[in-house]
Amino acid sequence: MSRLMIWLILGVTLTFLIGPFLIVIFAGMSAGEALAFPPQGLSLKWYAKVFTVESFRASFALSMFLAIFGTLAALLIGIPAAYALNRYDIPGAETIRTIVAAPIIVPGIIVGLALLRYFVVPLNVAITVALFVTHTALVLPYAVRVVSSSLNNLRADMEEAAVILGCTRLQAFTKVVLPNIRGGILAAFILGFVTSFNEVPASLFLSGPGVRTLPIDMLSYMEITFDPSVAALSALLAFMSVAIVFIAERLLGFSRYV
Amino acid sequence: MFLSRSEGLALALPAALFTFLVFLVPVGILLSVAFQTDTGAWSLQGYVDFFAQPLNQKVFFRTLKLGILVAGTAAVIGYLAAFCIVNLPATSRGRIFGLVVLPLMISPVARTYAWIVILGRTGIVNDVIVGLGLSSTPIRLLFTETAVFIGLLQLFLPLMIISLVSAMENIPRDVVPAARVLGASWFQVFFRIILPLTKEGLVIGGTLVFTGALTAYITPAILGGSKVLMLETLLYQKVNVSNDFVSASVIAMILIVMCFSANLALKRIASVKR
Amino acid sequence: MTRPLSILALGAALTASSVAAEGTLTISVYSFAQDAYKKALYDPFEEMCGCELVIETGNSIERMAKIEANAADPVIDMAVISSHDALSLANKGLLQPLDPAKLSSFDKLYPAAQDPLGGNMAVGYTFYASSIVYREDLVSIESWADLLGDGLAGNVSLPNITGTQGPLTLMMLDKAAGGDASDFTGTISAIGEHADDIVTFYSRSSELAQLMNQEEVIAAPVGRFAWSRFKSSPLPFAWADPAEGQAGGMNVMIMTANNGNEELAYKLMDYWLSTEVQTRVAEALIDSPANMEVVVSDEVAENLTYGAELINSLNILDPATIIANRDAWVDQWNTEVIR
Repeated sequence: MSRLMIWLILGVTLTFLIGPFLIVIFAGMSAGEALAFPPQGLSLKWYAKVFTVESFRASFALSMFLAIFGTLAALLIGIPAAYALNRYDIPGAETIRTIVAAPIIVPGIIVGLALLRYFVVPLNVAITVALFVTHTALVLPYAVRVVSSSLNNLRADMEEAAVILGCTRLQAFTKVVLPNIRGGILAAFILGFVTSFNEVPASLFLSGPGVRTLPIDMLSYMEITFDPSVAALSALLAFMSVAIVFIAERLLGFSRYV
Repeated sequence: MFLSRSEGLALALPAALFTFLVFLVPVGILLSVAFQTDTGAWSLQGYVDFFAQPLNQKVFFRTLKLGILVAGTAAVIGYLAAFCIVNLPATSRGRIFGLVVLPLMISPVARTYAWIVILGRTGIVNDVIVGLGLSSTPIRLLFTETAVFIGLLQLFLPLMIISLVSAMENIPRDVVPAARVLGASWFQVFFRIILPLTKEGLVIGGTLVFTGALTAYITPAILGGSKVLMLETLLYQKVNVSNDFVSASVIAMILIVMCFSANLALKRIASVKR
Repeated sequence: MTRPLSILALGAALTASSVAAEGTLTISVYSFAQDAYKKALYDPFEEMCGCELVIETGNSIERMAKIEANAADPVIDMAVISSHDALSLANKGLLQPLDPAKLSSFDKLYPAAQDPLGGNMAVGYTFYASSIVYREDLVSIESWADLLGDGLAGNVSLPNITGTQGPLTLMMLDKAAGGDASDFTGTISAIGEHADDIVTFYSRSSELAQLMNQEEVIAAPVGRFAWSRFKSSPLPFAWADPAEGQAGGMNVMIMTANNGNEELAYKLMDYWLSTEVQTRVAEALIDSPANMEVVVSDEVAENLTYGAELINSLNILDPATIIANRDAWVDQWNTEVIR
């Protein structure tokens, strides 16, 4: 294949993948009243308008809360599980692996509906708690997988050496294992954060009066708004996710772990 | 191993129990709803009733068709793009690969919304069509299967490219040029060398794209609307519009079975065709 | 470090949700014109009662489904909803009868709004006409039959059968074809034959406003309550006065059974029905008044469904008829229209 051919194919593919975002970014910069591309004049007023929408503040806070603490909770139970599956010869390891991975396989909308009908309603659980639990479960498979692959790269005899040299098992874990898989844990956190923050289908049914995640709130905002602020909102959200990943990549080189 | 099994079990159990109790149990109950009649007896009537409705059949086959089409198209574009990427010099390879991964980090809501601006009656595509005189009036693109297809393809193509790139990186660099020098056509190179060596990647990518397309909600909801229902949007409607939980449970089971069998079928294909 | 943090977070989430139940009233309303409602009703009410309003929005069906799902322990205290949806909730025993003595504005309401369902299960707070909104620069609408005519093919949207506007559209199409509103089978078949000409079937008026402002659709039937969304658009929208007349309906207030928040709910209902609020809501061109004492300028009246004469001229579909036939309509619709 010639150089030209290669760049032509890549050019077309990347235009298809990324072009739409560039259009959204510019459509949001319109100075006119209607959503259009190319925009009628340039202005940032629609970007400013997004920040005045009151409900976004609450839903943004909720989404941040879920993304941060849901992921932390997933790591809290996921790291020990990954460690056990990697280092111990436990009975039913395959079953445990399958159970923990299940949330990736079951379509999100089914998860949301099932939890609403058979968890929230019968047990009278607050929607916020249900969302927290759901997001934790959805992030858990990623946490286990990324931390596992990180543990795979760490030789088990290092901990054994620490134990032989007088550490307790716990000390060996906190002093030897944890510092060495720090990168993997951070990578899992970021992957979990982005997954949770962008999650829609499972959260669709899990909304109550005044309680909605940001993407769900955006969906309903899009339905009642037809000025360019919707484009501005989409662009801002895209920027945010990309910025988080970009910073993480720069700081940690996290793509090595995924 | 010098570690005790019970200690290991104690470490792994919280995660397993958590997922089991708050996740698998509710989902399991949901799936069982369709197997029970009002009186609590076990029955397949829910499934019979569901498929007796022409609309449900149509939505089922449309979802299957779009899933296959999206996965197939993604495979074709994916092979082309992946082959180009692995043949780039190392520095630009990393950058281009980063650009392919980038869309995955962006909210699907934002990703789907872009297509409204592009495919709408006053969107760019129609501006070009009318501007070039291909049609005197704008043509209908939104709320068609084509729109849903394009949206889903853009959403999941990166998964295919990533899978194929990592598969191709394992092909020794000299194999393809050597085959070409020895007189193999590109057709032969692809079917005799590249395809057999990247089957694993194709299977992983294909499964991810197919199941992704089956279970996407936002794209069919925004770009298809009530006229181009897919199983996911139909499920939402069954619950929120007609309050029909039996049908919802049937759809849930169909989706899960489809995802699992796609996984199995592709694995089978990969292991047979050696 | 992560453990205490996440326990703290979970705790915060739990307490946040239980604190919210004190001195708050949760209401379920239609999703349109929420900004205007905030100014005309929610903010002044919160100030007056010193309580907090939590507002759940959506179309009637979604909101009904939620009221039903939470029947044992109602999340929603009070809701505004279409009269036939209210009737179906009442039939399921999910509502409690209202006490007119607790509504000081009760006697000022149009008689038709005072007890529309019988047994004081609901009280009407607004009437609306339904007609066709269209782009007057592109088409003209003389009859409901124009919706399925060649002039609009490919540019028309109809309300989904499952919403409130769907049956009203069936009734008017039936009337245009010479029917007497007793049987819509033929009308649904006629829509089915034109299914390819219809852009999409919308389920919320906000969705239609979106479609028409994006120029995807140039004509569609809609309730008058959504008119302000079209009137404020830069595009030239007009309200049709078809030969068959306008359809119409009433939205009502209801109280969920055993919600334990009755006192606040009555307070809000009474305030909402008062001449003061009904006038403010009318002047903002959101909902037309059900309170007979409301007086508005001719200019405002023109944008509303205002006055006894107009209200009496509307073609109304009996809520009981809708409930009795809706399943059959939906079945036929799913078979012949959404093929």
